[in-house]
Amino acid sequence: MTTFDFGTEGWRRVSQEVLRIEGAEPMPLVATDPARLCVEVAGGAATQLVVVHREAVECRVECRLDEGARLELVHLFLADAAADVAVTQAAGSRCRTTSVLLAGGRASYRMRLEGAGAESELGGVFFAAGEEHAELDLRTEHLVADCRSDSRVKGIAADDAVCRFGGMVYVAPDAQRTDAQQQSRNILLSDTARIVTRPQLEIYADDVKCSHGATVGQMDSEAILYMRQRGLSEMQARRLQIEGFVGDVVRRCGLEPLCDAVMERVAAKMEQIR
Amino acid sequence: MLSVKNLHASVDGKEILRGIDLEVRAGEVHAIMGPNGSGKSTLASVLAGNEKFTVTEGSVSFLGRDLLSMSIEDRARLGLFLGFQYPVEIPGVTMANFMKLAVNEQRKFRGEEPLTAAQFLKLMREKSAIVELDTKLTSRAVNEGFSGGEKKKNEIFQMAMLDPQLAILDETDSGLDIDALRIVATGVTKLHTPQNATVVITHYQRLLDYIVPDVVHVLYKGRIIYTGDKTLALKLEKEGYDWLINQYGGQ
Repeated sequence: MTTFDFGTEGWRRVSQEVLRIEGAEPMPLVATDPARLCVEVAGGAATQLVVVHREAVECRVECRLDEGARLELVHLFLADAAADVAVTQAAGSRCRTTSVLLAGGRASYRMRLEGAGAESELGGVFFAAGEEHAELDLRTEHLVADCRSDSRVKGIAADDAVCRFGGMVYVAPDAQRTDAQQQSRNILLSDTARIVTRPQLEIYADDVKCSHGATVGQMDSEAILYMRQRGLSEMQARRLQIEGFVGDVVRRCGLEPLCDAVMERVAAKMEQIR
Repeated sequence: MLSVKNLHASVDGKEILRGIDLEVRAGEVHAIMGPNGSGKSTLASVLAGNEKFTVTEGSVSFLGRDLLSMSIEDRARLGLFLGFQYPVEIPGVTMANFMKLAVNEQRKFRGEEPLTAAQFLKLMREKSAIVELDTKLTSRAVNEGFSGGEKKKNEIFQMAMLDPQLAILDETDSGLDIDALRIVATGVTKLHTPQNATVVITHYQRLLDYIVPDVVHVLYKGRIIYTGDKTLALKLEKEGYDWLINQYGGQ
């Protein structure tokens, strides 16, 4: 088991399996290595939920957002866990997910937008090294009209790591005026690392705005040159670039002490790259 | 300060610099002009240490050291600054973080203590005022979403932060509107002291209305074919390069 200090006081630890949020929770809720977790956010209520995996176990998370509910979900893998997350959203609800895999592991998300005006945003990043194997699957389902989804997933593979991203946006026949964006950006840090990315769209409505894109590349050598010209060593420049690449996703969750702790983990991981 | 002798450099086997000689002393401002493709940006890149280019002949000494044997970062730490023609965006890395690392890395090279957070913030405030750079930009990612003018101001801001001995500004004026040009050029002038030197690479005379050069060089096909004083830039603006090329560009 890995120890992990959130660096925060007062966050509410969640141990029960079923949880209903009725109002606005002032402090984030934290669930560590849950086997099963079911969260319901009532109409108009808002909460932040942090799920952390420190053990290589299986986990199932279900979230249900009633009308106008808000959920900020932060999902952090520090161990080779396998997690299935299903989020169901009613009209006008909003879910923002930040998924960070700093170990091997498998994260699978299914976002169901069931009510008009529902919004799902997902920022994901996986960083695998050594012999690690990381997988992130995302299925976003636009089941009714006028919903919005935006997912940006980034990957870094070093050493002999193997990573895979599968993204599917499904737009149902009646889901007109859907706005769905999907982006996958990846960096390979060695000749033997591998990343497979498959962003896909399945659209049955005709009045939609959908886009997807994927890139796999090396570090940006122009940026490295730029930083070195200001006096940074090549190693520092590479590190800063990776930190920026990962941090861009991590920092969006807005939970600052947690971000700092995660970025420290990222820095430590970079030290271990062969 | 900078002494370039018979410098030849090539990229992908194609020779771009074909014997450059250049002497820059402390307190001087040099302008390097010349038509497109004459090798101006290559000269800047080679001096900065861009590994894309291969030096095939010649020598460069900077502050008494053999510049060509040094890494890019050591050249920077010794006090050589390159203002990029196309500043690079670095997503996720804030200007403040980037500059703090750079400033402290250069201080370490000189055997100085790193700046405290408070000292650093004060320095940033002072220096951003020189180029009228919105301090909000320092908490944004490096050059990301900056306008053309902001990017160039940001180059001069970094120059102010790092206080180099020699600044080489590669077409800092390209893509600037009149106001941004005035701000950038005035910033460069403010940073000029009798102890440092500036080499300005430019296409246009208008930048030199603000940054008055002591020496103007004309580069053509990888060689400096003519050197004059500031009046040369005015003459070039009016008459173009043809008269010089016809007379001196032949060999």
